[in-house]
Amino acid sequence: MGLRALFGSLPPRIPYSTGNVPVESLALPPRATLLWGGASPGDVGVAVGDTVQTGQNLAREGAGLFMSTVSGTVEEINSFRGADAVDYAVVGINTVEVDSYDSSIKSIEDLDNAPPEQLLATIIRAGFPGFDALVQGATVETLIISALDQEPLTAVSPQVLIERANDVSAGIAMLRRATGAKKVVVAIPHNSAHAADGISVDLAEIVKVRAVYPNGLPEILAKNHGAGQALKTGRNGTVGNTLVVSIEHLVGMVSCLREGRPFVNKIVTCCGKSGGELKNILVRIGTPVSMALDNLDVKLPPGGKLVINGPMHGYSCFSDEQPMTATSDSVLVQEPAEVHRFESTACINCGRCSAVCPEKLEVNLLGRFSEYSIFDKCAELGVENCIECGLCVYVCPAQRPLLHLLAHAKLVLEEETVGK
Amino acid sequence: MKAADLTVSTGSHWHSGARITDFSYNTLLALVPAIAMGLYHYGISAAGVIGTAVASAMIAEAAMQKLLGKPVTIADGSAAVSGLLLALLLPANTPAYMVVVAAFIGIAIGKQCFGGLGANPLSPALVGWAVLRITKPWVGYLDFDLALINYDLGFSMQYPLAVLKASGASGLHDFNTWNLFLGNQTGGIGASAIVCVLGGGLYMVARGLVRWEIPLCFLLGVFIASSLFRLVDSAAYAGPLFHIVTGNVMIGAFFLSTDNSSAPINRWGMVAFGLFCGMITVVLRVWSVYPDGVVFACLLMSLFVPLLDKLRASPIIVRPATIQITKEARREGASS
Ligand code: SF4
Ligand code: SF4
Repeated sequence: MGLRALFGSLPPRIPYSTGNVPVESLALPPRATLLWGGASPGDVGVAVGDTVQTGQNLAREGAGLFMSTVSGTVEEINSFRGADAVDYAVVGINTVEVDSYDSSIKSIEDLDNAPPEQLLATIIRAGFPGFDALVQGATVETLIISALDQEPLTAVSPQVLIERANDVSAGIAMLRRATGAKKVVVAIPHNSAHAADGISVDLAEIVKVRAVYPNGLPEILAKNHGAGQALKTGRNGTVGNTLVVSIEHLVGMVSCLREGRPFVNKIVTCCGKSGGELKNILVRIGTPVSMALDNLDVKLPPGGKLVINGPMHGYSCFSDEQPMTATSDSVLVQEPAEVHRFESTACINCGRCSAVCPEKLEVNLLGRFSEYSIFDKCAELGVENCIECGLCVYVCPAQRPLLHLLAHAKLVLEEETVGK
Repeated sequence: MKAADLTVSTGSHWHSGARITDFSYNTLLALVPAIAMGLYHYGISAAGVIGTAVASAMIAEAAMQKLLGKPVTIADGSAAVSGLLLALLLPANTPAYMVVVAAFIGIAIGKQCFGGLGANPLSPALVGWAVLRITKPWVGYLDFDLALINYDLGFSMQYPLAVLKASGASGLHDFNTWNLFLGNQTGGIGASAIVCVLGGGLYMVARGLVRWEIPLCFLLGVFIASSLFRLVDSAAYAGPLFHIVTGNVMIGAFFLSTDNSSAPINRWGMVAFGLFCGMITVVLRVWSVYPDGVVFACLLMSLFVPLLDKLRASPIIVRPATIQITKEARREGASS
């Protein structure tokens, strides 16, 4: 209401979490599940019964990188199709308590002088996500280190900024050389008490970003503070010019490179229910979400929702065996009463969706065209620019499943181009 | 993975809580003061017109939806709003059968034939009103001076815009702008309650249910066009303030032109839409045979909405992929 409504095109205010949420370690899971996006079981190079080491590449020769984050015995090799219409190869591993490490990840003592290629190769080998585009040969114009979380109900980045401030500078210098970025920007929440004190201005430009959704999304950071577009690799190739790396991954790289260890532990913020207290846990990548919930003493309510990576653009799971990945920032459980019900109501053309869309898409039209399978019109209206932030859905008074419709149109168009 | 008893969907998993009914119920609420003033001025006959219009609009909606085999959605309040807006434009003693006809045509042809709420290119209330207005035998009933001849409300019982049409600006010395603004004028049941309509409109804007661009630019358009006429001949043409506080301009700016489905949604589209509505209103008041031009201006501009919605600050960028890579090449790249 009030002033915000008066200038109706301002996005609704969905603030990021600010509080200090100390991190607690979670025990190693007896069984870890590893996901490999865009691959099939045939791409996996190990067999059921094989013993694997932490950091070992489980991919078949020449199939890329699929790193194990645990040591143990392979128990299952399978596949599943995610909600994002990506096919995953799934490997289940019965873990052993004491890790044995794969020797192909080596420590680099002198981070300041190691050759950039070696740095980049080691970072990628150590299992840090988001470098696909660089592997394809894309160049990084701007490197953004984000100390913002992507979503509300997530308290990972502020906590890292508090606990690991000392490693940030070293990480920036190292990653800048590794990626060859022309410019480095550090994005800090405007209300952060731990503003980049230790970061030298020669190293990076520091920008204060309003800690409100969707400002922490990589695409928005790249648009507002980078060279324009976040690097992205999809089925249709690679686009973008700005690499956005979370501060958690950045300091993780420093430790991994110094110690020659793979990236296997991730901080995840858990929230038993919307509006409930946040809890940070350090989990082994591959831990099923059920373990995190047990730790919180949260029972999954029948008919409720289990959301990973935030209430706005996160994905909902059909199973509590869904594992944590290298990019899982948060887990949220919703009671059935909190679950938002979509309706098949017609659009009343109120225009709120277009007004909030950070990509300035005509969502009202796109929703209708997609609903009636007129996909060429969707392409004309630039549907592939949708960053799936979910804001249009959040404001739609007709409760239309807009993101569902848009994502569907994107997928259909993408498949058409791939088929060509 | 074993499926659990969970709900799955795409994002967002939160919702602002906005409902379609926010628009209609708040419009009804915002119009309460205008209704009250109408009832105070015209008594039971105004209540009759309002009741008839709202009821027949809702019945028309339900009947059409039944006929077309669609779910009946009169609870969303949009038909009631259309009926109410129609009633507020009419003189207090409009015969009931005319009200019924207008409401039925407005809803059935103006809305349901196009697919219902959100799909109607014209506002149903305006369609209903326009049908009455252009039906020859009924013209007399919509002439406020003839229709309201039996009322004496303690202020000039001449319709200000009719006076303007008949004798030019020099005939307007009986009218005081402030009094007109307070609603002391003849006209539609609610449309003439200028101050109440303005209050209700500002409430809608403050709630974010009406975007400010359209009303503001509507009034601005009226202001600009009437100022231009005034510059040409101040004896023949009335000033901008007179135009703004008479007839349907206020209700047009806040409630008629802002009907969601017959108005643009992009800022510059809304600005152009509002400006043109306002300017055409004045042009019609000056040059057409009708004393007021708000409804026709809104109807006309609604036809241009798809075009106006193409007025966007930033064009859509269709981004080409910079590097095209096959799946195989990607794998090789990743492993090297
Ligand atoms: S989900 Fe896509 S269409 Fe909707 S607001 Fe976000 S970017 Fe725009
Ligand atoms: S917010 Fe919903 S109802 Fe409003 S224009 Fe967009 S899709 Fe239509």
